[in-house]
Amino acid sequence: MKKKIVSMVLALMMMMGAFVGCGSNSSAGTASTASATNGKTVYPKGKVVIYAYGQPQYLQQYYDAWLERNKDIASGVTIEIVQTKGADDSRQKVTTTYLSGSYDDLPDAMYIDPVNLMDLAKGDIVKDETALVTPLVDKMVSGAANDAKFQGKIYGLPDSVRPQMLFYNKQIFDKYGVDPSQMSTVEGYIEAGKQLKEKSNGKVYLSYIDPGSKTWRYWGRRGLMPQANAKIWDDEGNVVIGSDSGTKLALGALDTMYSQGLLLKSTIMEPALYDATRKGEVATFDIGAFWDEFLRKNVPETSGQWRVMSAPVFKDVGTAGAPVSSYFAIVNKKDGVYAGLCEKLWKDFNFDSTSRQEWVNKMVEQNAPYSNPISLDMLKNKFWKESSTFYGGESFRAKESEFLQNGSKNLVVTPQDAEADEIISAELEKYVAGSQSMKEAIANMDKNLKAKIGKAKIEK
Amino acid sequence: MKIIKAVKRYRYPYLFILPFFLLFLIFQLIPLIWTVGISFTEWNGIGSPKSVGLGNYQLLMKDYMFWDAVKNTVYYWVTGVVFILLLALLVSSLLNNKGLKASRFFKTASFLPNVCAAIAMGIIFGMLFDENAGLINQILVTFGGTRVPWLTSVTMSKIPVVILNVWRNTPWFTMIVLSGLLNISPEYYEAATVDGATAVQKFFKITLPSLSNILFFCFITLTVDSWKIFNEPYILSGPGTSNVSLFQYMYQSGFSIFKMGYAAAIGCILTLILLIISIVQFAIRVRQGEM
Repeated sequence: MKKKIVSMVLALMMMMGAFVGCGSNSSAGTASTASATNGKTVYPKGKVVIYAYGQPQYLQQYYDAWLERNKDIASGVTIEIVQTKGADDSRQKVTTTYLSGSYDDLPDAMYIDPVNLMDLAKGDIVKDETALVTPLVDKMVSGAANDAKFQGKIYGLPDSVRPQMLFYNKQIFDKYGVDPSQMSTVEGYIEAGKQLKEKSNGKVYLSYIDPGSKTWRYWGRRGLMPQANAKIWDDEGNVVIGSDSGTKLALGALDTMYSQGLLLKSTIMEPALYDATRKGEVATFDIGAFWDEFLRKNVPETSGQWRVMSAPVFKDVGTAGAPVSSYFAIVNKKDGVYAGLCEKLWKDFNFDSTSRQEWVNKMVEQNAPYSNPISLDMLKNKFWKESSTFYGGESFRAKESEFLQNGSKNLVVTPQDAEADEIISAELEKYVAGSQSMKEAIANMDKNLKAKIGKAKIEK
Repeated sequence: MKIIKAVKRYRYPYLFILPFFLLFLIFQLIPLIWTVGISFTEWNGIGSPKSVGLGNYQLLMKDYMFWDAVKNTVYYWVTGVVFILLLALLVSSLLNNKGLKASRFFKTASFLPNVCAAIAMGIIFGMLFDENAGLINQILVTFGGTRVPWLTSVTMSKIPVVILNVWRNTPWFTMIVLSGLLNISPEYYEAATVDGATAVQKFFKITLPSLSNILFFCFITLTVDSWKIFNEPYILSGPGTSNVSLFQYMYQSGFSIFKMGYAAAIGCILTLILLIISIVQFAIRVRQGEM
């Protein structure tokens, strides 16, 4: 009898052990309900979880200070940032958690890009923020909420809108006597590259080209393509990249630069490129404003040498790079109690000038990332026009705002973009590897997009 | 009735194996059936799947990325089986040599690559094979060679993946082969020596036949592992689909571009391929009278 009981207990324990962890109940975000006191919503003790990518550890400093300032409504609340690899990764984690029905494990909010935001909005996973954002749209930089709109509603709280810029090393241009002002056009930019190459005996490259997917992301989708008014799809969603004159102009310019040896083949954000930059072998970066934090962090020796100008325009088009927007989305969490807290956090971060400036000052001390606010009122403050020693006394912040003025329109966002990017990038990577010409690459992009996707859904 | 009787009679053994079968049912069998179902749908992971019949399979047949991934995986399979088995045989024979001094040290040292985390090793190999700043190219240049675009060329990008795969997996199979070698009776070798057999003859007439079951096991395991290769090509990615594996393509289809139905179809094809290979291998063994 004893043997039987022991056997049964053991078998039961094994089964229980196997299921330990399944259906675990985290208290994050579902502590109890928020209550209203003196017109203020008071949040219960618990943990707010936010998915973020890039270098979110620096945001934690703002959040901690915010909690300290808001003890009256959030006493006992903590904020935890969960770092993800990127917007795709955040979306993947949220989607799979949502599907599993483990709503308690969902984050309360997440940073996200327009493509993934659209899918999450379709699935009703993120909260409709139309009521909160609409009255604020006029107070934000132009187009801040544009990519968060889906079927007439706004699903993301605008977090940043950053322009494409041309970072150039003035010391290199001075050394070789090349005039940087000619880089206001793409044609002049290429000419400057040729002059640098010739005068430095091939030592100095105009810029870089990434052998992986970053070439399409930074040179293509966010850079030359919108600048050349290029199209992947027509208004009905048909593939037109193969016949589009804008694509030929954009990728043709990249081809000219690469085939003439003006671009150093090196992976971006990796030590080899920083080494070359440090040695003065890479003169410019035509890229998003985010590159500022990478330069400051990775090549501090070059402080004072850099200047920025608006991304070069194609003579026949006339608009500079397209701005890149990112959003803060509140997750539709069943029984979640911190949606209001996250909204207040977002509003304070973007519209409370004092706390934002304090945080930015801390970031500057730590050589850490930050971006301009989206609030137009805040941007009027002198603080956002202060000079920067890294840019030889020029105001990077003022330039960041200024360069938003003549931005190109972004490529249209469709649910098929992630797949399209993979197909297009694969062909561009083969071009960079030297296994096909740019003409062949564009033809293959067109052929493969038609074969694999056919037609994109253009969301109105 | 018979089954009920058997269950009643052996209820405790059945109770003990129940946890495994419960887990197998919940985490393997049901997901497998679910995957087959999903493969006939279009689904991005959000909302309800939309039935597309055989659409995903038809698209797969026309998808050059899928075929590139199949070709690359076959390449990893063939090179993996050949190099890993040959090296495992060689290293285990050396480790089994009675004349080897400090054999314990060598046994431990030769196993170390398998202990290292694949992702960490992938990152290190990525640095070693970097075209501009990698150690391999620095050595080549020092000896008068030119820089090789290991990871940035369509033709070369599979080589670092194969090297990393072989380097990481050889130790594991070395240990398995070594255990087989230790089980071969020394009397066979003594008798062969008396008969005047050379070392090569001993290897081909005694060692290899005695290891046939072990090598078959290694072959099966390596085949399954090779078709599931993911970490190495994922970390050491080359241009386009030049070194993408089938498993990696399935992952990318599912979790980068969120075509869950398409990814499920790739998973079903992968399972089918492995099933066919296993059946063929077993059929050959049965025909040889080994099973």
